[in-house]
Amino acid sequence: MRQLELQQRGLLDLIKGRGATPDDPYLQMVEGSRELAMMREIAIWWRKYQLEAQCRLTSNLLKRLNCFKGLVTSYFNNHGTSPFVEELSHGFLNFLNGHDDGLVRTVARFEDALLQLRSGSAATFEVVWDRHPDHVFLALENGSELPASEDDCQYRMLLAADLPQMVSCTREQLVRN
Amino acid sequence: MAGADAAMDNQPRLALATTYEGDDPALLERIAPLIDTIEIAPDSIAESDGRGKQRLRRAILDEYAAVNHQVNFVAHGIGLSIGSFDHWQEGYLRLLDELFSRFELEWHSEHLACTVVAGENVGTMFALPRTAETLDLICERVRLIQERYRVPFLLEHVIHLLPEAPAEFSPAGFLNAITSRTGCGLILDAYNLECDAHNQGLDIPAFLDELNLSAVRELHLAGGVQHKGFYLDIHSRTTCDSTLALGLEIIRRAPNLRVATYELLKEAVRPLGHDAICSELGRIRQAVGNLNENDPLPVPASNGSLARRGGA
Repeated sequence: MRQLELQQRGLLDLIKGRGATPDDPYLQMVEGSRELAMMREIAIWWRKYQLEAQCRLTSNLLKRLNCFKGLVTSYFNNHGTSPFVEELSHGFLNFLNGHDDGLVRTVARFEDALLQLRSGSAATFEVVWDRHPDHVFLALENGSELPASEDDCQYRMLLAADLPQMVSCTREQLVRN
Repeated sequence: MAGADAAMDNQPRLALATTYEGDDPALLERIAPLIDTIEIAPDSIAESDGRGKQRLRRAILDEYAAVNHQVNFVAHGIGLSIGSFDHWQEGYLRLLDELFSRFELEWHSEHLACTVVAGENVGTMFALPRTAETLDLICERVRLIQERYRVPFLLEHVIHLLPEAPAEFSPAGFLNAITSRTGCGLILDAYNLECDAHNQGLDIPAFLDELNLSAVRELHLAGGVQHKGFYLDIHSRTTCDSTLALGLEIIRRAPNLRVATYELLKEAVRPLGHDAICSELGRIRQAVGNLNENDPLPVPASNGSLARRGGA
């Protein structure tokens, strides 16, 4: 490996906070430096800023759960992050499919579908909610308490460009044994 | 005396430019009469279909077209990643092609940096090590760009936030080597130089003394932020007096400088406000105008040294 490749690969690992301690003396010096910490802080700040602007519902929810910065950092460290906000958002919202909290997964799926439709997607998306979605949106918008999940029903939402206002939603009663 | 007058007649005045990234027609309407040139960042006005394909946003191109009779355009890229060890970003060049197909650009430029490593975006810009290996790589890529686009190509130095890598060239010596081998031009960013002076101890007077200033075609002026003891090149403020003074010093000494650009992030427009942006453009215009009156711009003399316009 030539020196330029070695250095750039090493710096990428350092800014992403991954990989073993490098052998190269320059990279070792960078590893513990306040300059690297500053550069990481800026890089993650920009990703947060972009995601807050593009994924308002999801970032609102994650901030209320006190996990937004941690998740953005984790996503930044472990994934390629596109400079294009549409791709960054799509990647981050898909990453949240693996989140423990069902509401986070649902809101992220909904917002991803919405963004794809706005980008011209002709696909139809289905998102199933365990609580009334309007109440979730309202709570996220005005900061009120999030609604609890409803045991006896679910809300099946379809999103598609050819639907009136791009969305339809039906309440389905669940039968419990 | 006639020679000096002729030189003055032939010397175009320094143009004033600023960044405009769209979606704010009220701002565009106000700044267009105040400037000569708009700096367009193709990456910043692009949209993605979410599946890896990008294109320039038509609505913003239409905004530019509406003021094309008033202003010129230059392109200033962010995402070419000309210094990546493996390859540059072909996607950026497709955006640039699209922009060239729509507008006549006086020149285009890119940061002397790396933003992608082995296909992965680094989320920031890495400055490049000043080595012979890097020099060869950059010069070959500049040559390819010059073949592809028949307008001048400029490179801009970026701030060095990370500790300096082992180097075989001085900061100015590296830029001189690139410009002498390729004939490409330079953008000097006065605020970036101040950042490097504060963060890395760059000796700006020595840098300017060593740099071949005849390669400088464009000057960047901007205001940034201080955070945790660092000067950061987040272009979100008006220009500090010290930055403007340094910019004027560069104007005095760079004989082929044609444009001074006040750079501002789109995200900073709202907090700063339209009034402040317009005032800043007026302030820069006035400062450059005063310089023209009181301390005439240099013109290249036939022997390559500098002579003052209107001088003896």
